[in-house]
Amino acid sequence: MAVNSQIEEIADPELEKLKELYADKGFLVTNINNLINWARTGSLHWMTFGLACCAVEMMHVGTPRYDVERFGAAPRASPRHSDVLIVAGTLTNKMAPALRKAYDQMPEPRYVISMGSCANGGGYYHYSYSVVRGCDKVIPVDIYVPGCPPTAEALLYGLLQLQKKIRREGNIKR
Amino acid sequence: MSSNNKTVTVNFGPVHPAAHGVLRLLLDLDGEVVERADPHIGLLHRGTEKLIEQKTYLQAIPYFDRLDYVSPMNQEHAFALAIEKLLEVDVPERGQFIRVLFAEIGRLLSHLLNVTTTAMDVGAMTPITWGFDEREKLLDFYEEVSGSRFHAAYFRAGGVHQDLPDGLLDKIYDFCQTFPKVIDDIENMLTENRIFKQRNVDIGKISKEDAADYGFSGFVLRACGVPWDLRKSQPYDTYDKLDFKIPVGVNGDCYDRYLCQMDEMRESTKIMLQCIEKMPGGEVINRDSKIAAPKRAEMKTSMEAIIHHFKFFTEGFHVPSGEIYTAVEAPKGEFGVYLISDGSSRPYRCKIRAPGFAHLQAFDLLSKGHLLADVPAILGSIAIVFGEVDR
Amino acid sequence: MPDILENILSTIKENCKINDGFIKFEQIQITINPEELISTLEFLKDNDICQFRQLTDIAGVDFPERLNRFDIVYHFLSFKNNVRIRVKTEISENSAIQSITQLFPAANWFEREAFDMYGIQFTDHPDLRRILTDYGFEGYPLRKDFPLTGNVEVRYDEIEKKVIYEPVKLQQDYRNFDIQSPWEGTKYTEKKDTE
Repeated sequence: MAVNSQIEEIADPELEKLKELYADKGFLVTNINNLINWARTGSLHWMTFGLACCAVEMMHVGTPRYDVERFGAAPRASPRHSDVLIVAGTLTNKMAPALRKAYDQMPEPRYVISMGSCANGGGYYHYSYSVVRGCDKVIPVDIYVPGCPPTAEALLYGLLQLQKKIRREGNIKR
Repeated sequence: MSSNNKTVTVNFGPVHPAAHGVLRLLLDLDGEVVERADPHIGLLHRGTEKLIEQKTYLQAIPYFDRLDYVSPMNQEHAFALAIEKLLEVDVPERGQFIRVLFAEIGRLLSHLLNVTTTAMDVGAMTPITWGFDEREKLLDFYEEVSGSRFHAAYFRAGGVHQDLPDGLLDKIYDFCQTFPKVIDDIENMLTENRIFKQRNVDIGKISKEDAADYGFSGFVLRACGVPWDLRKSQPYDTYDKLDFKIPVGVNGDCYDRYLCQMDEMRESTKIMLQCIEKMPGGEVINRDSKIAAPKRAEMKTSMEAIIHHFKFFTEGFHVPSGEIYTAVEAPKGEFGVYLISDGSSRPYRCKIRAPGFAHLQAFDLLSKGHLLADVPAILGSIAIVFGEVDR
Repeated sequence: MPDILENILSTIKENCKINDGFIKFEQIQITINPEELISTLEFLKDNDICQFRQLTDIAGVDFPERLNRFDIVYHFLSFKNNVRIRVKTEISENSAIQSITQLFPAANWFEREAFDMYGIQFTDHPDLRRILTDYGFEGYPLRKDFPLTGNVEVRYDEIEKKVIYEPVKLQQDYRNFDIQSPWEGTKYTEKKDTE
């Protein structure tokens, strides 16, 4: 029984028989893939790595108008408790080692959203002497959210894209 | 343990939920008491001043938005005023009133964010939800007038970029009617709250003389008892035609700074209502001198206008050589721009004087002798935003 | 307002050795030699007529074609008189200037920033080290001969498992358009004369 209506059912006759057998006895039957996806996408705790202006939009996405908590995502202060790292703002040369350390402290499975044009590729400060041209020079990135700053809605869309990506990729190896 | 004089150096690191951005604070702690605080800044140093030297005046305006990113238009205001003074041009009255209106909206944005996040750092989790919902309404106004919620690039040399859309003034008027109730709610929650008072009264106290010596300005200076506000003493745009009061504190501690911010929000609402009443008609930017782009309809029909448009957006307007220091009363303090022009269409040197830089410098003085748990409260009360400190 | 400015400027001219002093855009500006710095600033701070209590800003400016390459500009504010003043001195690349942190504690970080951005040395400064740029940064960014993109950039190296510095390699160079129009015949470039 799929919990999320967007996931397609694997119409396996064996599976169907099992479901019919157990459904009315108070059991839920699904495959491990769906279960792990539901758990991972339904509670993406993100680490607040707000550096510059995008940090304020990141705060706005958690507030009552765009309310990201209804998707299960909540901000966490520590990298060891979080699934997603949202790099919001310009990454400078001085800050790069700290970012790498924070990323290394996150437990697997971990995802990274690069928010804003400064984090995507240096952005407005691309030609500056003290800016890292894109946080993907330091950590691997899953989703890029464009904008300067991306509106809170755009970040929300980026989070939903991340959920889609998690469902799409296999999760036993990750 | 008390006779053991070893101090521990703790890294209140760049990645910290209460550090208000990227601040690396090295604290020498004796137990829980802070002996010395050494802020390391520069983790957001993006080279703004060097980049500005390579761009024309029009292209440099968005850099100012990104300095104090919680109230973007106030910084543009300083730059626009500096260019206008060097060019010796006037701004039409409607443009001036619009600038004052949006500067006060910026003040509300900044104080709402600062008060509610400081409250969150000391433990009150609800005011941030109320405050940020009001911020969303204000960001809607920014979006209506300039197209972008945050970095508007709206204030230009000579006025503002384009006129207000129809109906916006009515919406701002309705906002001003409902907003005082929200401030009342936040005040009910925090002002008489025992826990909030215990965490803020007599914390981060600084005397009048020290505050003036260390380069403080804005509400942080006023909370110490110095009645100094650039809107009253060196008025720019139409502040001299408006009637408003300046809240001044007594003790110079975190609690007084909080009270100053709340009262300033009420005064800003009054200023906004007066601007809406007094708003004249007319042009919003000085189109006589060649510092404004011609109107779009005109550009499509007249040959001269299209040449103006081309030269304006490629080369930019030339500013006569000279230098000037202009300061505005930004929400955080005195935001100054020292502009040196060499007669070409690019600034020769643009030094940005950020209020947070001077405030953070005195952090050692403010936090000496306090406990570790007071450090977030003090940091929050002096309204630090790293975009402007690090530039 | 203008008479207060005139009054203050004449008081300063009588009592301090200044090279040049004038009032423009309703702001006083004086130029002094680096040796006179402390005595002039003491006068500005303590004198009854001037009372420039607060240091607002210290800026450095680079004029590479001059002999005394750097200009150090101090801005002061007087609460009592509601007046600002700009004090400028010139200094060459290898010499040092006296720090004013004893007189004005606010100068601490501003001088550190001038040192960081230009390489101007301040004697008797309590703690002169880099403030805005990276920890091992070489060079002084705001000098006119320092390239915009700098000399090094940062990336994470998988083999060494840490962040390393390597020379800058841009995908696309900064497009610096030569905006002086070849059509000098048109009047539109000569904006300084028409007003």
